[in-house]
Amino acid sequence: MVKRRERDLLHRWEGNPILTVEDIPFRCNTVFNGSPIKINGEYLILLRVEGQQGYSFFALARGEDGYYFDVDQEPVMMPGKQGFFAKYETRGLEDPRITFLDGQYYILYTAASDYGSRIAIAKTDDFKSYERVSFISEPGNKDCVLFPEKINGKFARLDRPLGSSDVGSIWVSYSEDLIHWGYHEPVIEPRPGYWDAHRIGASVPPIKTDKGWLEIYHGFKMTSCGPIYRMGTVLMDLQNPAKVIARSGEAILSPREKYERVGDVNNVVFACGAIVESDNQVKIYYGGADTSLCVATVDIDKLIEETFS
Amino acid sequence: MSEKFRHDIVHRWEGNPVITLDDLTFTTNNIYSAAAIKKNGEYILLVTMEDLEGKTSIHLARSGDGYQFDVEETPFMTSSTDDSFRAFETMGVREARITFMEGRYYIVYLGVGHHGFVLCLAVTDDFRTVKRLGVISEPETKAGALFASKINGKYARLERPKAGDRIWMSYSNDLLTWGESDVVISPRSGFWDSDLIGCAFTPIEIEEGWLLGYYGIKNTSSGPITRLGAAILDRENPCKVIARSNIPIISPRKDYERIGDMTNVVMSSGAILEEDILKIYYAAADNCLCLGTTKLADIVKTCIESAKEF
Repeated sequence: MVKRRERDLLHRWEGNPILTVEDIPFRCNTVFNGSPIKINGEYLILLRVEGQQGYSFFALARGEDGYYFDVDQEPVMMPGKQGFFAKYETRGLEDPRITFLDGQYYILYTAASDYGSRIAIAKTDDFKSYERVSFISEPGNKDCVLFPEKINGKFARLDRPLGSSDVGSIWVSYSEDLIHWGYHEPVIEPRPGYWDAHRIGASVPPIKTDKGWLEIYHGFKMTSCGPIYRMGTVLMDLQNPAKVIARSGEAILSPREKYERVGDVNNVVFACGAIVESDNQVKIYYGGADTSLCVATVDIDKLIEETFS
Repeated sequence: MSEKFRHDIVHRWEGNPVITLDDLTFTTNNIYSAAAIKKNGEYILLVTMEDLEGKTSIHLARSGDGYQFDVEETPFMTSSTDDSFRAFETMGVREARITFMEGRYYIVYLGVGHHGFVLCLAVTDDFRTVKRLGVISEPETKAGALFASKINGKYARLERPKAGDRIWMSYSNDLLTWGESDVVISPRSGFWDSDLIGCAFTPIEIEEGWLLGYYGIKNTSSGPITRLGAAILDRENPCKVIARSNIPIISPRKDYERIGDMTNVVMSSGAILEEDILKIYYAAADNCLCLGTTKLADIVKTCIESAKEF
């Protein structure tokens, strides 16, 4: 038998998808993009669930092994009901990303409203009560991930403002208080002709490695049938993330399986988080076709190696 | 003599335009809007000009009377060669708005790079040298202006993010990092400002609160019509609109406002309040700089009366 190279660097778990609408204990339309965190051996995933009304909110899944999960009976974060947060969350909460920093779990998410999509930050100690902190961008911005430690004494984030001609690049910004942000710089841009030709955005909160900050990002290429969302990697300088050390030429995961190709939004793999295990295996959790949550694994050294190729 | 009915609240100076391409000692392609300030009796404008290559720079113009200006040939600000700013200004700098605050002249301007427009901040004391302080927005944000005093202990600015084409405001403790963004006013369906709005001249503190001059666009089958309008914002919380004029304060009517690279445009980024008279410097058809004046009381009255209508 001819031994062929795998098409995708990531290895899909054979039991995929790990969650679908059938696993949600309340009425909803779909479950997809989710952000994982491992606390004292327990795996938690903050899930984006889209209700039948059409807007999204967050639910929580719990598991012991990172593959089998139970979803809590009630959603954990709903759009703000009053005041400032209600005004900018009327169309829901999307794509959470968890970062553990200074003893606190921060949740970066996209708030959607008639005013446009903007980035919000919330925090929790225990994943029981959640406190909203602030909106931290103007409209026209999403896909924000917080670095898990300060860089040169400041909090740092990646995000994706929509620039001219709706082309979206990944930018870095800094803050001393998590509320006021500045010192904005572009990090990477879409590459014409490549799989990430049209728009890109941060996906997984940056992972610190001895080669630099490893970012697993998403990118899409526009076709006559719509976009194809894939995943790639970039390594950024530890002291100055605007300095790119390496970027993968090929996508590390592309939609191929049925649960990635068929759903409310076809041909999408979209990660919002990953767990690095003690044996250097990385579990990347990603939404498939905006209709399921999946997991794929890869050795972190292979991921870094691929980034340099 | 009976006073002729004026369609526009703003009265055009009879000598308009104030600056045309023919008045310049150098060759350039276009004249855009200008920031305006009065310093020790001297009128100073920071005029955006587009050169023949298509790049924009900011030129300084001086005048003793506010009508006759000398424009300096060497740009006051042009694309930066500094590593921290170069990438944001590859295609030029434009649309300055001056704010006199805490004894210094702050300039919010647009950096034009291939990512789109970003807001940048610079400061000058003498209008001879200028120091860039930072890039203060991500793309794509335009029409930035600093309020002349702190609001609830924080620096405050107006801005126009591309998404939604509304006027927003943000706050800062240090002028470099910004947050707490909130909507101030939005386009109004069916009105003259139905499709896009942005801050025009730097907000002016008046008895009733902050006077916001803004530009509004209505799209037509032959392109946009850009007009100027006004609103009064609450002094302590500018997101609270006290009154907003239902009608523009000036619309393109004269040939010099209708004919140019951009047709049917009156657009301002600078005004000077002298006693009770507001001098509004505005660009017409992206081709020349003009002056319009009006009594502050007339603008305020229009805003307040509009509020009563609803």
